[in-house]
Formats: sequence, structure tokens, C-alpha cells
Amino acid sequence: MTTFRGANCGLGAKPVCSVFTDTGSNATEGSGGVEMRYEAPETMKAAVALLASDEHGRVLAGGTDLLVQLRADTIEPSLVVDIKKIDEMCAITRENGGFRIGAAVTGAELGEHEAFKSVWPGVVEALELIGSTQIQGRATMGGNLCNASPAADSVPAMIAAGAIATIEGPDGRRDVPVGEVATGPGRTSLRAGELVASFLFPEQAPRTGDAYLRFIPRTEMDIAVVGAGVCLTLDDSDVCVAAKVSLGAVAARALAPEAAAKALIGTPVDDAALAELSRAASAAAQPIDDKRGTREFRIQVTGVMARRAAETALARAKGA
Amino acid sequence: MTGDLVGAPVHRLEDAALLTGTARFTDDIELPGTVEAAFVRSPHPHALIRSVDSTAARNLAGVHAVFSHADLAPLLTRNLIPPDNPTLKFAESTRAVVLAKDEVCHVGEIVAIVLADSRYVAEDAVALVDVAYEVLPSVSDCRDALAPGAARVHRDAPDNVVATFRAEYGDCGPAFAAAAHVLPLSLRQHRGGGHPIEGRGIVARFDPATEGLTVWSSTQGAHRVRDALVVLYGLDETRVRAITPDVGGGFGSKHIVYPEEVVVAGAALALKRPVKWIEDRREHFLAAIQERDQYWDIEVAADADGRLLGLRGSMVHDQGAYTLLGFNVAHNATLAVPGPYLLPNYRLDVTIAATNRVGTIPVRGAGYPEGTFAMERAMDAIADELGADRAEIRRRNLIPADRIPYELPLKARDGSTTHYESGDFPACMEKALESAGHDRFAERQAAARDAGRYIGMGVANCTKITGRGPFETGIVRIGPSGRITVHTGAMAMGQGIKTAYAQICADQFGVDPGAVKVITGDTGTVPMGIGGFGSRQTVTAGSSIHLASVEVREKALKTAAHMLEVSDRDLDLKDGTISVAGVPDLSVSLADVAKALSGAIGYARPKDMPPGLEASVNFLPTGLTYGNSAHVVEVEVDVGTGGVRITRYLVVNDSGRLINPTIVEGQIVGGVAHGIGNALFEWMGYDDAGQPVTTTFAEYLLPTAPVVPNVEIVHHETPSTVNPLGVKGVGEAGVIPAAAAVMSAIESALAPFGVRIRETPISPPRLVELIGEAKAGS
Ligand SMILES: Cc1cc2nc3c(=O)[nH]c(=O)nc-3n(C[C@H](O)[C@H](O)[C@H](O)COP(=O)(O)OP(=O)(O)OC[C@H]3O[C@@H](n4cnc5c(N)ncnc54)[C@H](O)[C@@H]3O)c2cc1C
Repeated sequence: MTTFRGANCGLGAKPVCSVFTDTGSNATEGSGGVEMRYEAPETMKAAVALLASDEHGRVLAGGTDLLVQLRADTIEPSLVVDIKKIDEMCAITRENGGFRIGAAVTGAELGEHEAFKSVWPGVVEALELIGSTQIQGRATMGGNLCNASPAADSVPAMIAAGAIATIEGPDGRRDVPVGEVATGPGRTSLRAGELVASFLFPEQAPRTGDAYLRFIPRTEMDIAVVGAGVCLTLDDSDVCVAAKVSLGAVAARALAPEAAAKALIGTPVDDAALAELSRAASAAAQPIDDKRGTREFRIQVTGVMARRAAETALARAKGA
Repeated sequence: MTGDLVGAPVHRLEDAALLTGTARFTDDIELPGTVEAAFVRSPHPHALIRSVDSTAARNLAGVHAVFSHADLAPLLTRNLIPPDNPTLKFAESTRAVVLAKDEVCHVGEIVAIVLADSRYVAEDAVALVDVAYEVLPSVSDCRDALAPGAARVHRDAPDNVVATFRAEYGDCGPAFAAAAHVLPLSLRQHRGGGHPIEGRGIVARFDPATEGLTVWSSTQGAHRVRDALVVLYGLDETRVRAITPDVGGGFGSKHIVYPEEVVVAGAALALKRPVKWIEDRREHFLAAIQERDQYWDIEVAADADGRLLGLRGSMVHDQGAYTLLGFNVAHNATLAVPGPYLLPNYRLDVTIAATNRVGTIPVRGAGYPEGTFAMERAMDAIADELGADRAEIRRRNLIPADRIPYELPLKARDGSTTHYESGDFPACMEKALESAGHDRFAERQAAARDAGRYIGMGVANCTKITGRGPFETGIVRIGPSGRITVHTGAMAMGQGIKTAYAQICADQFGVDPGAVKVITGDTGTVPMGIGGFGSRQTVTAGSSIHLASVEVREKALKTAAHMLEVSDRDLDLKDGTISVAGVPDLSVSLADVAKALSGAIGYARPKDMPPGLEASVNFLPTGLTYGNSAHVVEVEVDVGTGGVRITRYLVVNDSGRLINPTIVEGQIVGGVAHGIGNALFEWMGYDDAGQPVTTTFAEYLLPTAPVVPNVEIVHHETPSTVNPLGVKGVGEAGVIPAAAAVMSAIESALAPFGVRIRETPISPPRLVELIGEAKAGS
């Protein structure tokens, strides 16, 4: 998974900015030295047609991953399709009591959307951890998901929230759970010509709370060493009736361990349940050793982060 | 002093340009016809160069030339960079080369320079230069380098020992035999690099009409760059001029003359057109100096009350592949150990080991943080052993104020002993403890622990050698325009030193500091210069400028007296005008005086006055002057994640007399930020072969604004007795005890687990591991 190029970080390899820019086995594609075409279609149909026409095409949303990768020569697309001119991609709408968020909506916009923020504070706090104010003005959830870094911050939060990705492609539209889009570092299940159009956050049950927490060595501008998203729902007697737990940066893609969710369901989310959650989360983690943290450390911190995220989610569920 | 500018928090004169984007850095130097350079660098920690084929690169459109060793050798008088401070005999194999001939000894070492219309083309061409390497065994860690059978860093060297030395006084043997407590400590100290935000860079231009070579370099030593070029290209020093434009930080990484600078200048000579090279961040990680690793194995002896009896042991220092400067880091580390404490017996055996990593030289602090860390860890170890308060143990060992001046029989590099000529170390610590509320902290800590929170308070003290000579020129000049100009060999690199110099000078003429133009870093205006390092320039150049200003003032007054036909005792100098006291109409301006002194054909000059309203002074310090600081830090540790948050940071600092408190505070805060980086974040990683593994700021973490707390600063001014201004250096002060104080605070927070920290930096994973080990051990 995460992706430091150990022995290669000096001169053996092309410069790599961070885990976000490392697209694993797809690291160099396209044909060297080819001119790059830039297109900014205004319809979904045109975007799909463009992408289908060029196997070395790339979607450009905020560009906070893509541009870094371009500059570092880790990718050489022959076509870049900017999706920000497509209205649907930039829209936030209500749908059946839930929210539909266009794939090109920026973190900053979502962070200022009071209605969405009050329902999904955990998703918004995950998005707002991405980079800095400047980065958030550009960065999108679609880009965060499709860049497919195992450490992507918004992905565990979206998985915990039960978000659905709506995908457009040459064969039409299909819906898949967010957790099924990224398949490994830099890899997605998107087929040729496909792109993520939007995310559906279905109507939330009453007394539901979500939260996302990450651990980084520095308080700002750093890459998650461990991330944990928790969403839980209580009944009227404060017993947890539904829960989803998702873990980032501890496997090749975000995990959603059943055992961790089960540790909460049917309990009042008391100390014993939280301890069990912590154990289950640690047990589910399959991290690697790297410069940012040893395997043992990540396993321990996974439990700590999951527990703390659950505590926040619980407080929010009770307050909601 | 004449005016009241010295000591005033004058706004920095540098800032308007910096804030409005009109400052000029090396990259802003745009000369017509410039070609840009990129370097072919070794991808291997150690290899032989079998061949360099640059045919394809030369054939690329827009490429002007590719020079490897064979191409540049005819221009060079020799392929060795002049060593700066060869104070010890050392392994010749570690002498730094200009361009690798047949062997490369670290990743990033330059093999060839490519010159092209633009950097883009140059970099494309770099990829086309075909270097055939034969990879050799390499050694990465300095301890491994000394192991029997270790790979050789340099193919021809018998082993990897660059030099050894012993720092010693007293007699440790009997002291240790009689000691109530002898405590061993194994310390692993790492410091990364300097990482100024502006990297290195140079523009070189050769003018065939004057046979003049001019270089603009982002350096801490313009004169040393000039001198190296003079020697290496066999030039005349009057034909070589090194100019340093605005500099975005140095911190040690621009202190030496680099091969890149020499090669770029050589390319300009060869091509007869301007050449520019601006370092990118990756190159800085690969090829700019670092400070890196020291491994200390020491034991400290104390009596039953925790008073120091001795400290002894050994230390291994990572020199990297080349000896780029000398042995200052290792030397200073040994000098810093006794610090502000009474240490009666001391012996440290140092081995300087070569490794296949980029060379090390001082980064801000220059070994003092390491020596201080060793002593402060020893202090905490004694306190823990005795179950005593950490501040109390220090109190028992600090040199009392009444024993100042204090002579430590430990020799500095220049052979002088350590002589604390002024200062009150206990007062500084007490002030710091008091401001931090140290005596009530135990209560707060207990309450926090009851609430499941781990807070801790740490304290550390240090002394720092400052004001190293031999001198730094100060020239003060007033021309017929009436403008006052200061020239000095000192180097401005963002500290605000031009403002300080302007204040010192302006005070003598009753003018606004903004009326004084300060020119630094230009060998064309000052023949000799030493440079910016070692917290020395306010002491050396500041004193010279002060003395030169006084001299010019006196000359102006004497001349005016002659012109106005009064006694100079009856004259006032204010706002650049000299007038007869009580008769303001009877006056001459400094411009009038300068004009009179510049002479006019056929007119008599003022009697007995040599021409010119100017003075040049080389103040020669009679000794070094020592700064002293006490830092108290409060932290909160998250035992679940090993995260450390610094919640309070307090500094009591003695830098002697302050020229400008705002600038001094800026230097201290910057130093503390560096120290926090050293304590918690900055780690320059290499794999076992010597391949760097942290080559971006995503991997090498610098402290950012949110992790550097508000630093509370209290000044404790004891004027230095060895210079006319009473100043001590401050550029490095903030960094020196910082890592020691932070570690002390973390240990204090984790006292319930008995965690002991013996290393820098300490990462969250490592701290979690230490907590785990301590739990398992108890
Ligand atoms: C300084 C800095 C700090 C950062 N900090 C963080 C951080 O703390 N946490 C974090 O998770 N990330 C971080 N990132 C990474 C990055 O900002 C995020 O991943 C961001 O969400 C990417 O969104 P974007 O819109 O900019 O994506 P882009 O760069 O436009 O695209 C990223 C990838 O996804 C593809 N893509 C984009 N949109 C779609 C779509 N709709 N359908 C299909 N494919 C698509 C692109 O082709 C590209 O391969 C940081 C980046 C920088 C430069």
C-alpha cells in the first residue's frame, strides 16, 4: 500500500511528491513526449465520449493530485478532461431526503453548506482535513476517491456514511457503494471511459452521528498514518442499532471491518463496547511498516482512532 | 553611545521589500544571454564511473554544452575544493572534489553539468547523459562504517576513520571511583539539514572586456566563494567579484563553497556567457550539507547530592563522504557539554567516521545542541536516580554568578580556553522557572493525571560560544551627497542584520536608521570578509561599524569645527547637521563636510585632515563571548498515539546588550522552531546502502506554524566585556537547549511509565514503542 519508494526516493526514481501522487503500478502511462490535449466539456455525455476516445485520458477535477503527478512526470496523459464545466458535477441537491453531491464539488463548498454539514459533520471534517485552505478550494471528494490513495481522508468517512458513487460511462449509469471504487493504490474499478458523476448520501436515520479522525505526526499538512470513520445510529433507549466503521491508511484501500461495526451494534456504546471496537479495528488493520509508522504502531493507533471517532459519533447521535 | 537607537525595537528595514515582493534573490538576477544549468548527479551511494557519454545530450536542440570532469579539468588548477578549517589532520580521501572523476561517493554527487537555453531543456538533456557506473559496496550508518570489514566509503582509503580526537580536562578515573552514582547513557542524536526556504543558487558572468568574473550567489560567505574561484581558476582577486543578493535563509547550508558554485562559474568562463543554476528542493535534500548523526556512549558521575563529579565516554560522528569544512560540529559538541555547569572532570573520545552520504557541516547551533542534549539528559538521569526535582539538581550544579569570570580548561578549535566573561546562569534559570510556574506544576500535573491526561514540564540550560573572530570589516562612508553608507564583509541572510547595523551607525549621526544604506555580501566593496555563521556578525561587524561610525563622527566634528571656526566641543550633530550649540544658524551639513574633505583643485583642505569622510575598522575581538539561555517547556502527550503537543514555551535569554529586541526575539523564535523540528519531526532518512529516503517535505517534516507555540521570551542582559557594544551573538541561541528541554518535558509527562528518552528526534511511533517497553519493564 502506501508507497514510499524506499530505496528509490533519492535519484533512482522520478520525484514523488507524496503518497497521494503515487499511482502504484500505473506510475507511468501514456507515451512519452506526446502532446497533451486539454478539454473542458459542458455535458456529461461529451465528457464520457472524450474519455472513451482515448485510453490515456484523465479526468481533471481540482487537480491537486493530478497536477502534482503531471509535474513529477509520474503520469503523462495525452488527454485531460476538465469536469468542472459540467453543471451536474458541481451541484449539491436534495434527493429523497438525502443529498446528492457532484463529484467536482470542492471541500470548501461542502464545508460551507450548512445543511449538509449539520447532517454529515464527519464527512465534512474529513474533507476539511485535506491539505490547507488553498487545497480545499480545489480538492474534491471525487478526486480524493479516484486518486485511490489508501490514505485518502474523505473515503473512510464516505464509506461509514454509506455513500453511493454514481458512475457514468459509455454503457450508461451505474451506482456502486463508495467502498468498491478504489481497489488498491492508484487503482479503481472504473472501466474505460467511466467517471464518477456524483455521490448520493441517502436519507439519514434519526439519532445518527458520524465522525472521522486521523492520526498524523504533525498537526497540519500531513498524510494520514491511520484514519477512522464511524457512523452509528441509536434507538430511543440509546442502544446502537446500526453502525459502520471504516479504516484508512492501514491496508491497500480503505477497509470496512464488519467485526468493528458489530462490536457497537446492540450495545449502549459503553466502555466494554468501545474496547471491543478498538480491538476489532486493530485486528482488521493490515498495515505496512514505513517511514511514517511501524506496523505495530499503526495497529495500535487504529484501535485508538476508531474508539475516539466512535465516541464523537456517539455524542453527535445523542445530540442529534 | 550617542543616540538612543541602539536597544530600540526599530522596524526591520529589510521588510518593506520582502513584503512587497521587490526583494531580489539570486533567481531574480536576469542577464541577457543567460544559459541555465542542470546537473547530472550520481544515483548511487558509491560507484566507479566507467564512462560519461554526453553525445545525445549535446545533440538535443537548445543544449549549449555538457561538461564532465574531463571537460572542465583543463580550466581548473586542481580538482579539490579548498578546505576551510583544517584544524585536524584528516583522511585525504575525504577532501571534496569539484567534479567526480572516476568515483562517486554519495547519491547526488555531481558528475556533469548541462547548459541549455532553459532549465527544462537542461533537465531533459540530463536524462540523455549516459554515465556507465560500476556500483561499489557502500556504507550508510556511521557506526557500521567503523565496524571491522566495513565497505570503504572511498575506494582508496584504508578505512573509514576521518579523524579522531579527545576532549579532556581533570582526571575522570579517581572521580568515578569515588562517585556515589555512576549512570550510563547511550544517546542517538540526529539533526537533519538547514532547509532554508530559498535553496542554493548562483549566476555567473564572465566579461571578456574587463576579464572580470562576477558571480551572484546565495551564500553565507561571499568572500569565500570569491577566494575559492580565484584559487581554482587561477584568477586575480581584483577581477573576481562575488555578490550576494537577498538571501532566503542559510542556517548553515550555504556556509561552504559548493562544487556547484565552482562548476557554474567555470561554465561561464568556458562559454563566455552568463550561466544560472537555481537549486530545487530535491537537489537540496540530495546535495546540500546536513548535520545528521552522532552516537554518544557516556557515563556521568555524581556525588550523593547529585553534584557532578565527572563525565566520560565516547562519541561517533557522521562526517558523510567529504570533509567540506572541518570538524566544527564534533568539536563544538564536545565543548558544549560542560555548558553552564560545574563539571570538574571530563573526557570524551571522538571518532569521526566517513559514510556514503552527503557531507555534514554545522547547521544552526553547530554541535551545541548535541553537547547540551548530552549534559541535560545526564542532569535528568541524576535527578531521576536521586528522586530529586530536575530543576533542583540543575540548581546545585550551575556555575554561581560570583564565580564569573569562569575559566574552563577546555580548548576551543583556535586553542583558546572557554572563558565565561559575563553572565548569571542561575538567575536565568530561576527567572524561567518562575515565569513558567514551576513550583506549582506538580499540583497541576497530578490533577491532569487524575483526569487521564499526561502533561509534563521540562527545563534545559545552555551556553553558546559567539562572536568568533578573527574580524569582520566595517566601513562607514559619507560622500558629498551626504548619504551615509555602511559596507561590511558580514552576510545578511534574512536575520535583519542590516537594520541592526543601520541602528548602530545612525546613532552616531542623529539620523533615522533608514537614512543609512547598509551593503553586505559584496566583495567589490570590502576586500576581506569571513561570513555569516556561528552567531558572530553583530559582535564582530557590529563592533567594527560602531567604531568606524564613531571615527567618522569625530572627523566630521573636527572638520566642521575648522569650517565654522569654533571648537569641536561647542558643536552638536543632529539630523545630519552639525551646528554650533545655541546658534543653530551657524551650521554645516554632513554633505558640506564630506565635500570639503573630498578636496577641490586649488583649494586648501581642512587643516590636518586626511581626505575623505570615511573610516574602515577591523575590530579584533580579544576573546569569544558566551550567550546563555534557559528554556522551560510544557507538553501534553497523547499516550494512545504518541502525539506530543507543546502547550507552553518559555525562554530566558542572555545575549548581552540588545541592539534591537524585535530582531533578537525573531532569532530566538526561529531557533526554537528549529529545535522543535529537531526534537519531534526532522529526520533525514537513508536506507542501508546510503540511498536517501526522505527527499520531499512530505517525507521530511519541518515544524509548521501550528506546532510551534507562542514563544514567551524574557531577556536577561549581562553586557559582554569583550566588545565595545557589549553584545553577544544570538543567531543560534534559540535552538540549542530546545530539543533537550522538549525531551525533558516528555519524560516528565510520562513519568508514571518511567519512559527515558535518549534520542532525537522522537516520533509518535517511537514514543508509543518506548511507552510499551517501559510498561513491559516495570
Ligand atoms: C499540499 C497537499 C496536501 C494534501 N493533503 C491531503 C490530505 O491531508 N488528505 C488527503 O486525503 N489528500 C490530500 N491531498 C491530496 C488531494 O488534495 C486530494 O486527494 C484531493 O481530494 C484530490 O481531489 P482533486 O479534485 O484535486 O483531484 P484531481 O487531482 O483532479 O484528481 C485526482 C485523480 O482522480 C481522478 N479523478 C478526479 N475526479 C474524478 C472523477 N469524477 N471520476 C473519475 N476520476 C476522477 C483524476 O483523473 C486523478 O487521477 C493533498 C494534496 C496536496 C497537493
